[in-house]
Amino acid sequence: MGLLSFNNVGITGIKAAVPVKIINNYEYDLFFKKEDIKEIIDKIGVRERRFADEKTCSSDLCFAAAEKLISEMNINREEIDLLVFISQTPDFRMPSTSVLLQERLKLPTGTIAFDINLGCSAFLYGLSIVYSMLSAGQLRKALILDGETRSKVYSLKDRKTGFLFGDGGVAALIERDERFGKSFFSLNSDGSRESLIKINAGGYRRMSSCETVKEKVVDEYGNIRSEEQGYMNGADVFNFVIREVPRDFHRLLDFSGTDVSAIDYFVFHQANSYINGYLAKKLKLPVDKIPSTIHKFGNTSSVSIPLTIVSELRNKLEGRKHLLLSGFGVGLTWGTALIDLMNCYIGEIVEI
Amino acid sequence: MKKDFIINLKEALELDGQVVKLSDTFRDYEEWSSLKELSLIAMLDSEYGIEIEMNELNRHKTVGDLLELIAVHSSRQ
Repeated sequence: MGLLSFNNVGITGIKAAVPVKIINNYEYDLFFKKEDIKEIIDKIGVRERRFADEKTCSSDLCFAAAEKLISEMNINREEIDLLVFISQTPDFRMPSTSVLLQERLKLPTGTIAFDINLGCSAFLYGLSIVYSMLSAGQLRKALILDGETRSKVYSLKDRKTGFLFGDGGVAALIERDERFGKSFFSLNSDGSRESLIKINAGGYRRMSSCETVKEKVVDEYGNIRSEEQGYMNGADVFNFVIREVPRDFHRLLDFSGTDVSAIDYFVFHQANSYINGYLAKKLKLPVDKIPSTIHKFGNTSSVSIPLTIVSELRNKLEGRKHLLLSGFGVGLTWGTALIDLMNCYIGEIVEI
Repeated sequence: MKKDFIINLKEALELDGQVVKLSDTFRDYEEWSSLKELSLIAMLDSEYGIEIEMNELNRHKTVGDLLELIAVHSSRQ
């Protein structure tokens, strides 16, 4: 079973960046009538989201967040021994975006840099990897840069996904320090459900061609997309998530020996407000302990958990705090983590 | 069980003031949409504790099929 625990490692600071351009979903009637949009938006709860312009990549959002974090926390760049970039919207197919960021951030060539290609659960995977490497003992400071420009992935002419996704990037500093207590992770994967959220073309199984970029009507509702754009089967994902996420939640609490009342905040991946509301109800969690940003940033995939922490928990994390994180999505992969924070620095969100 | 189920189904699919028959194929209701599909799955889970794979749920066509699903599930409990 994918269960892990760590001691004396933790997040010491987080900063986020979002594009300055705000999309008002109820008014976003480029391809659909406003009255048709309304039912969708009421259910998914995404009133606003941010769209990066053509020139802006996930890495640019992360770079902006990281530069601010480094200056605000007065971090010595020479001490950053590890940089992990999390995204499914990298700059290039090669090289890894993390290596480009090592150069842009003027980090030493002794810095370990690599990418993690996972979706909505990836912040948890990234934390567990960085915690593991820091626990080996020699590394001083680690940066997780987690960014997504999901607005560029999905067709705006497909109502199943066209109103859901937004863009954002975060930078988190992770350090080993005796002030941090234990943290726990449960991580899972189910590749039998690989087709539920997918971009079919553009990889090496089905390489890009004139055919793959053609827009096509894909269903009886008249939704339009190309094979290079993302597809999601919402009902199947929902069905899976409401079953497996609560199961994993309880598995992690059992594993860590933690009572649910000892947790200060429950930070869920911001999938859509219908799923998130349902999970909160099913798990019988107090609403005031569940920060949410789905209404203003939409679903930003792996960025949504740390972005929600920055947006909603700034000035609420003084002293020791226990946060439960729950991520789930494309793969499918899902996970639950219980992390221990001690005076975690949270910067204001930067707009670029 | 039947009466409660019809009430739950009408609420989930927003079938206000309609007569719902067991022979109705529920995906043919004018109100049916991919969003209503989520409400149906949520209702089966929250009201009846039914966990069902989608390919199995998709074999259920009529309101009566759903009622039978619930009956079989509750008899197993």
